[in-house]
Amino acid sequence: MDLVVLRALVVCLSFTLSTSLANAATPNPLEFSGFARVIMGYLDDENAEYVGYDNSLSIDQQSLLGLQADYRLSEEIAFTGQVVGYTDDQRSSGLEWLYLTYTPNSALQVKLGRQRIPFFNHSDSLDVGFAYPWLTLPQQVYDTAFFSTFDGVLANYQFTLNDWQINYEGYWGRFDDEIHLDSQDLDTQVIGLFGVNASVSYRNFNLRASYGQGDIDIEQDEATQFAQLLRQFGFTNNADWLNANGLLQFYQLSANYEDLDYFLRSEVTKMTGAGGLFADIDSFYISAGYNFYPYTVYISYGRKDLHFEHLANEIPFGVSPELDLLAATYLGILDLFPDDESKGTKIGIRWDWQYNVALKAEMTFVEANDAISNDYAVRDLGGFDGHAVLYQFGLEWVF
Amino acid sequence: MRKFLALFVTCWLVLTPSLKAAEAIIVVANTSDKSLQLNRLQVRNLFMGGALPYDLDAIALPPENQTRVLFNTKVVGLTESRIQSYWAQMRFTGRKKAPREFSNEQSMLEYLINNAGAVGYLPEGISVPNELTVLYTVR
Repeated sequence: MDLVVLRALVVCLSFTLSTSLANAATPNPLEFSGFARVIMGYLDDENAEYVGYDNSLSIDQQSLLGLQADYRLSEEIAFTGQVVGYTDDQRSSGLEWLYLTYTPNSALQVKLGRQRIPFFNHSDSLDVGFAYPWLTLPQQVYDTAFFSTFDGVLANYQFTLNDWQINYEGYWGRFDDEIHLDSQDLDTQVIGLFGVNASVSYRNFNLRASYGQGDIDIEQDEATQFAQLLRQFGFTNNADWLNANGLLQFYQLSANYEDLDYFLRSEVTKMTGAGGLFADIDSFYISAGYNFYPYTVYISYGRKDLHFEHLANEIPFGVSPELDLLAATYLGILDLFPDDESKGTKIGIRWDWQYNVALKAEMTFVEANDAISNDYAVRDLGGFDGHAVLYQFGLEWVF
Repeated sequence: MRKFLALFVTCWLVLTPSLKAAEAIIVVANTSDKSLQLNRLQVRNLFMGGALPYDLDAIALPPENQTRVLFNTKVVGLTESRIQSYWAQMRFTGRKKAPREFSNEQSMLEYLINNAGAVGYLPEGISVPNELTVLYTVR
């Protein structure tokens, strides 16, 4: 796998050099660009995994290569396509973007097609590590959005008001693909996916707020069959709880400041699901950094608090062996969905070695509570004491 | 020792104003509205792809250029690496693209003269032809 990535990088390099030489003369209607990450990581704990890293040195978790082509048909209309190849087998490589952009004036932009969902600050640039200071985005927040693309329409409108820059964005569409949870691939559909976000910037401050929602439908045959069985016996509340489907809502608020010397970034997010099998997740991170060009050092603290509205067992014990079995099964399922709390503290350094190449090193101190759902960044392989350190080195490249 | 110190201070006093003059940046546009003036935030927004109620297209100098370094420091208020990562985010989220870059001040000036609506930044010492308007000066 690593060899494939390396070969692809070499091909891209030669192709970038040829296109950048061509670009020097006149602006070309067809432009190619791309981004790549080569990330090496090691977790100091053999009983756990964090962001896919375990107790061995690996390079195939977050390394990736993205290629983008922009074709400008006219002043107003352009086409964009982006393919991303992941080394992580949990993410499916392929087309991330394919859309048409209509820009009637400098204030309005409308995009139609497959694009990234701008739930949070970095949701639509997750893979472009060069665009953010951290090596790995604070997972306590960025782990919680299970899908990153949608098919639909997105409109962006920006204007100024007394030196304030204001930006509104709205999108509407659907998602229909597999999502990966605890090494399961679940067929998932989200319809009526829509969201709005607004950001205001003044001098070096930026505030952003967003709201998103969608109707989620996850194919979980075992849970559905068991719920039907419960319903036959009249335990409708418990049956209703065994449901991951329904309205999913995302909220986000972030405040950022940056100047020549310092930056402060913070983001608070909340996700709620209507179905019992879908947790409510509250998370946030705060990060501060100091620039001494070409270096940036930073510290960061993130926290995720995931909780289910666990519905107590309404099936009586000791009436019949069948009911006992039903109750035990229900309790067994409840146990599979524990509340999960984790924290991540980071220190790291970024070195902008070239204008388009950055090297990063980062240490993440992971802390998790006893119950670990294994659906998120922290995974308990058995006997994990809740403390681990992730060491990472990486190269970020844009071209 | 005192003599050296006096010499040093004199040199410093004599050289500083001239250095300051060389460090001033002007923002120049090819616009028919000769009375147009911008403030620092408007200039910053313009060069960072933000909205502005004027029909102006920003162009830039390459990262290693000294005029660009001064412009980043005095007007944008961000380091070059932060500006590069900002444009990477904008490009790969399909929002906007960085201003076109010209290899030096001379080629920038030529482009400005020949393209209505183009706006760029130059060192103050440069002689500005009549076709162009100075929108903003920072010292």
